Amino acid sequence: MKKLFTIITIFVLGGTLYGQTYNTFEPSKTQFMLRGYGHTGFEYMDSGDETESTFLGSAFAPIFLYKHSDRLMFEAELEFALEGDELETGLEYADVMYVLNKNMTVRAGKFLLPFGTFMERLHPAWINRLPNAPLGYGHDGIAPSSGIGVELRGAFDLGGPKLNYSVYSTNGPRIKDGSEEPEEAGILEFENYEDTNLAKAFGGRIGLLPFSDSSTEIGFSAYSTSGTGEQDSDFEDIGAFLYALDFSLVKQIPGLGGIVDAKAQYNSSNVDTATFIEMHEDGDEEEYSFDNQSNSFYGQVSYRPTMSGSNFVKNLEFVARYSDFNAPEGAEWEEKSKQYAFGLNYWLSWRSVVKLSYQTTETEGGHDGDGITNTDGLFLHWAIGF
Amino acid sequence: MKTVYKLSIALGLMAVFGLTVVACSSTKGNYTDVPNDEVAETEFKLEKSGAQLWGETCNRCHIAPSPSDYNDTDWETISLHMRIRANLTEHESKKIEEFLKSAN
Repeated sequence: MKKLFTIITIFVLGGTLYGQTYNTFEPSKTQFMLRGYGHTGFEYMDSGDETESTFLGSAFAPIFLYKHSDRLMFEAELEFALEGDELETGLEYADVMYVLNKNMTVRAGKFLLPFGTFMERLHPAWINRLPNAPLGYGHDGIAPSSGIGVELRGAFDLGGPKLNYSVYSTNGPRIKDGSEEPEEAGILEFENYEDTNLAKAFGGRIGLLPFSDSSTEIGFSAYSTSGTGEQDSDFEDIGAFLYALDFSLVKQIPGLGGIVDAKAQYNSSNVDTATFIEMHEDGDEEEYSFDNQSNSFYGQVSYRPTMSGSNFVKNLEFVARYSDFNAPEGAEWEEKSKQYAFGLNYWLSWRSVVKLSYQTTETEGGHDGDGITNTDGLFLHWAIGF
Repeated sequence: MKTVYKLSIALGLMAVFGLTVVACSSTKGNYTDVPNDEVAETEFKLEKSGAQLWGETCNRCHIAPSPSDYNDTDWETISLHMRIRANLTEHESKKIEEFLKSAN
């Protein structure tokens, strides 16, 4: 009995000691992370003839990160949003990345395009200081946001100043020929992930941070393709060239008692002139063409009084933004718009913000007609990153 | 669109990129011989801390994250992701990662 008791004791304690010795719960070499962001809110819009107010269904954007090694990683972002009575889903990006050396990384798959900085770095709801994007971005915008292809990117330390670069090739955009939506003939559609011709788009961005405190960045982006139409169609050889200039300044200024954040980006789109067909109500067809050049601009300044003695005031942020968008004269979607936006934010944490914003937009032309439309909007949004 | 115009823009971009790569191919990081202690001391003083880089770099897009929000393993993944996503230098991302892991 005594021997049996001794054996059982050794077995039990030995197992425990063995477990304590070898189950160190060290992290695995590979790691999977779930990050992302979500937002919800309330909006009131008044366009003169029409007013509307609505609570917004939550939008949810999970980001999946898989770190295979110190060099190899996969990232993907899904988007879920309630639009009307339906759940809209989307794949924002999904790409694999490999660090080739300290100055170069290769990415392949669907990735956010470094055309300027807004869509690649600043558009997530918990980063964007205002509830929506400036004019010229998003649906019918002229700035490409993502593409499927391959990219080389990296950065250099110039002994104080820094330089970053990106060069890529993607399937490229598709020009809307007007056969399905005559009022949008000539618009470049970037959400075109199956290539319809042999032409690829080539682009890149160079960013320079001239000061050692990295407070300022200026960037130049270009995006070009020799063909935007379907193969063997009249639009096959319609090329496009787009470029963007961007600027960023983020600096704590003791004299102002806080951090000033200024951002700006100018986008220009130049598409080869093409001939489209306009269908009249009586059934007659008429050919027309126009100089297909568009541009947009936004400038934004925000200020956080981070040096205030009050914790409440420290978390406040004041924002102002101007943006405009000019679509080509003679197009069915001819438009000149200006928007002024003002906001007051309260940061609950570094990644959760409540945004109160007033925006007024003047639109001349556009899809809604030839006249001038003034739209005022009041937005209350709550965004969180995780 | 004029093909020549597009080509000139593309060539200009390639030239700027090429010159930059050539110009940066020899950095002071390659020179390991430090001539004397005085120079070494100056170099040491110029070296930014991870905390300083964390404040300067992360704030360029979003408010700098709280180190305590993630554990060491998470910060390794996030650092690699942000290095690529925000086009940070290897030095910046490593120094920031070291700071975040030491302060969480």
